[in-house]
Amino acid sequence: MTVPTWAAGVCAGVHAVGCRDVVYVPDNPLSHVLRTFGEQYPDVRLILATREEEAFGIAAGLYLGGRMPAVMLQSSGLGNSLNALTSLLVPYQIPVLMVVSMRGDEGEWNSAQMPMGRAVRDILNAIGIAHVTAESAEQVAAAVRQAGTNAFSSRVSCACLLPKLLTAGELTPRQTADMTVESGRRQP
Amino acid sequence: MTRLDATRVVVERARDAAIVASLGHPAYDLFAAGDRPRNFYTWGSMGLASSIGLGVALARPDVRVVVLDGDGSLLMNLGSLATIGLLQPANLTVVVMDNEEYGTTGGQKTPTAHGADLEAAARAMRIHATATVRTVDELAHAIDNARRTTFIVAKVRESAPTAKPPLDCVFLKQRFMDAMERP
Repeated sequence: MTVPTWAAGVCAGVHAVGCRDVVYVPDNPLSHVLRTFGEQYPDVRLILATREEEAFGIAAGLYLGGRMPAVMLQSSGLGNSLNALTSLLVPYQIPVLMVVSMRGDEGEWNSAQMPMGRAVRDILNAIGIAHVTAESAEQVAAAVRQAGTNAFSSRVSCACLLPKLLTAGELTPRQTADMTVESGRRQP
Repeated sequence: MTRLDATRVVVERARDAAIVASLGHPAYDLFAAGDRPRNFYTWGSMGLASSIGLGVALARPDVRVVVLDGDGSLLMNLGSLATIGLLQPANLTVVVMDNEEYGTTGGQKTPTAHGADLEAAARAMRIHATATVRTVDELAHAIDNARRTTFIVAKVRESAPTAKPPLDCVFLKQRFMDAMERP
């Protein structure tokens, strides 16, 4: 099976930052990333968590033990993570690289995903976690690397958001540019 | 056995182990029983002590990690038992200070007061070395004999904490990390 460019970019970006531990709660698009890590990155340890909050707890412990952890989740799981982020990672200055597969943004079909999808950036802003959005498949590796460098140098977690249209393979650079203008809400 | 009695046993037996304490009374008692750089005190994130301990144990297989959890806290994150049972880090010991109540918030009874069995839950999640202990001698024996992933329910009486760790989270983190890097 071929690896989508965006998924190869996530793996390359996470690896380039220096992360060798990836704690995750599965998600349909992220399955491409997990498979690629498994097949092409034998030095990366994949750690399954039962819930996103737990994933951040494990990642915090990994950092305390000297590692540079990444956490991969779907945006819906951000809600499950807030207590871990706001009462552990942020106040203790424990950084992780967050890779967030978006739901509820452009192209969403499930109304139950939309409220959190719309709120993700505002929530991250409100709790002081910076984020970047990968604007095209070719740009994913750089965006992930940028988020990771930001996180581990500032000691505040940073998220790289992967738009739903991007992970669905339906996003061309041109569409992304249009979307950015229309929504006017994307953070740099 | 009060929780402080049990905590003293853990600190005495832990030697150079990392100890991760759940917020509130377990962390207060750890500070009172013996403050040391390899103690990690949480001031929030209820439920995550065992997850944090798991992460430290995975990062540092050469260091023994002991988690001091509470029954109410563990019940907030029971999925952690499944993850620990899946990964089975041999250097991780989880001690649940089971006073059968939410001691930090006023003594409301937890489900363990009505028979909920956390040791059985751990076994069901494939943590094979488990014990429920009621005396300091039993607890000491269980800790000394932990050779693989171990889960201990310590049935304790609630006791009023006598001290609290520093509130500076960044200091607590940095001190812990520095201590983990020293032999």
